[in-house]
Amino acid sequence: MSTSVTSSPQPQPKTQRPTKPRHGAKSLAAVVLLVAITIWAGIGVQVDLPAIAANWRNATTNIIQLLQPDYGFFPKTIPALLETLQMAVIATVIGSALSLPLAFLASRATNPRPKLLAGVRFVMNMIRSVPDILFASILVAVVGVGALSGIMALVLFNVGIIVKLVSESLDGEDAGAQEAALAAGASWPKANRAAMLPQILPSFASQVLYTFELNIRASTVIGLVGAGGLGILIDNVRSFFRYHELSLIILEILVLVLVLESLSAWLRKKLV
Amino acid sequence: MTVQQPHPTARPVKPTSKLRTTLWLLVSLVVVAAFWSVDIKWSALADFPAQLIKYVGLMLFPPDWSKFGEAFMATILSVQMAWIGTVLGIIISFPLSFLASKGLAPRAVNAPLRFIFAVIRAVPEVVIAILILSVTGLTPFTGALALAVGSIGTLGKWGYEAFEGVDPGPKEAVRSTGGGTLALIRWGVWPSAAPEVLSFWLYRFEINVRASAILGLIGAGGIGKMLQDNVQFRNWDAVGMLLIVVVVVTMVIDQISGAVRNKLIHGTWRAPRLAS
Repeated sequence: MSTSVTSSPQPQPKTQRPTKPRHGAKSLAAVVLLVAITIWAGIGVQVDLPAIAANWRNATTNIIQLLQPDYGFFPKTIPALLETLQMAVIATVIGSALSLPLAFLASRATNPRPKLLAGVRFVMNMIRSVPDILFASILVAVVGVGALSGIMALVLFNVGIIVKLVSESLDGEDAGAQEAALAAGASWPKANRAAMLPQILPSFASQVLYTFELNIRASTVIGLVGAGGLGILIDNVRSFFRYHELSLIILEILVLVLVLESLSAWLRKKLV
Repeated sequence: MTVQQPHPTARPVKPTSKLRTTLWLLVSLVVVAAFWSVDIKWSALADFPAQLIKYVGLMLFPPDWSKFGEAFMATILSVQMAWIGTVLGIIISFPLSFLASKGLAPRAVNAPLRFIFAVIRAVPEVVIAILILSVTGLTPFTGALALAVGSIGTLGKWGYEAFEGVDPGPKEAVRSTGGGTLALIRWGVWPSAAPEVLSFWLYRFEINVRASAILGLIGAGGIGKMLQDNVQFRNWDAVGMLLIVVVVVTMVIDQISGAVRNKLIHGTWRAPRLAS
């Protein structure tokens, strides 16, 4: 540069480092608040490390048992294992079939009626905020112990997730083709069917596979409240303190989840 | 695969792949097999709608508010469990996820940590809880411990993914001025990854709030235990009230955490309306 620094005052501020915005007081307040909440919560759940340490010594026998899975128990777990898989597959299929139309009703881009939209979204929000096992424990009381109540609980759980994810991707899709279809005189369902559905099918398919992964994990545990699958078995061996068998079941869950998750990741790559 | 010659009038033929067709067939086969083999009396579905209406009526018209105080305290306990679980999970997973990031720690440290995270993620929280409870006994604190262990799996993974995904510019700058690994983390990685990581913490807290209700079902206390007790004794009107409490509390916490997340990422409490 040929101009001297003193001749033009303009470049002067550019070389100066911008001052860092100060929010020390705010950060401090946030930290104090977080620590206060933590202490309050800690008192609430009775954080008690000495008791854990004392228990730990008594529990060594349990741990030793848990580290030695009883492989001879495996044949007895096969029916429950199969039931877990059946529940996950069936719930994924029914759940995704129900979610596709609901997703269209829950998206601003595809549902022109604000009242219906708000209604569907409200119900979906409610469904999503109830954990799957709570659904299962209520449905077990309503339709009885077994795979049916488990499947229904998983279906509800899946509808909540898939509708949210797919309707969000519908919101983000390009609406040009849909507009063209509407302008040409198509009804909303027809325009959505012709212009929006093909756009979201890939994301729908990958959400379905993702839900399947969640279902495998969920279907192993919803049996704890009597909804079929490995969970029932867990509950049985747990109440009789048969830790050798418990650890075998947990090992099975681990293998099942890892194998099926990699399978589903591979399928997603190939199909979507 | 056939290469389609461009032709002005003919519509291009959709490419087909044998692998895809076979996979679709296999998937359909598995689905059919599952429906065919499962041991369910589908006829029970016929009177389900009537049953559903009956039970919803029993639960919600009207719900029994007499135990609301107790339910509220139980919910608070569940949320406290979730909070302690999340805080412990953050404290443990935070340093671990730096150690699991490629480029910040040796490969020999990365790989086993990533494997441990994957194993923890594969096990449902309830199972972790059962494992821990069988060792330490039933208290809300052990429930929180189970949530903490479960959180390590996801938080660890999200953490190292965020740390590896940061813009390489600042990292290079720190390296070029002679900064060590700690300086690299503090000045090259953390500032760009912080908003994302903080929002993961919030998200995990939301998950833990739901999970803490579940842990109650196996006896760790809180709202889940109260729900399970009332379901077992078929106090449907109380169950209805508890469901309302669970739904409202979960929604309120999601709203608060969503607002905090927006503040951390966008700088405003409300989400800016995105064009996309």
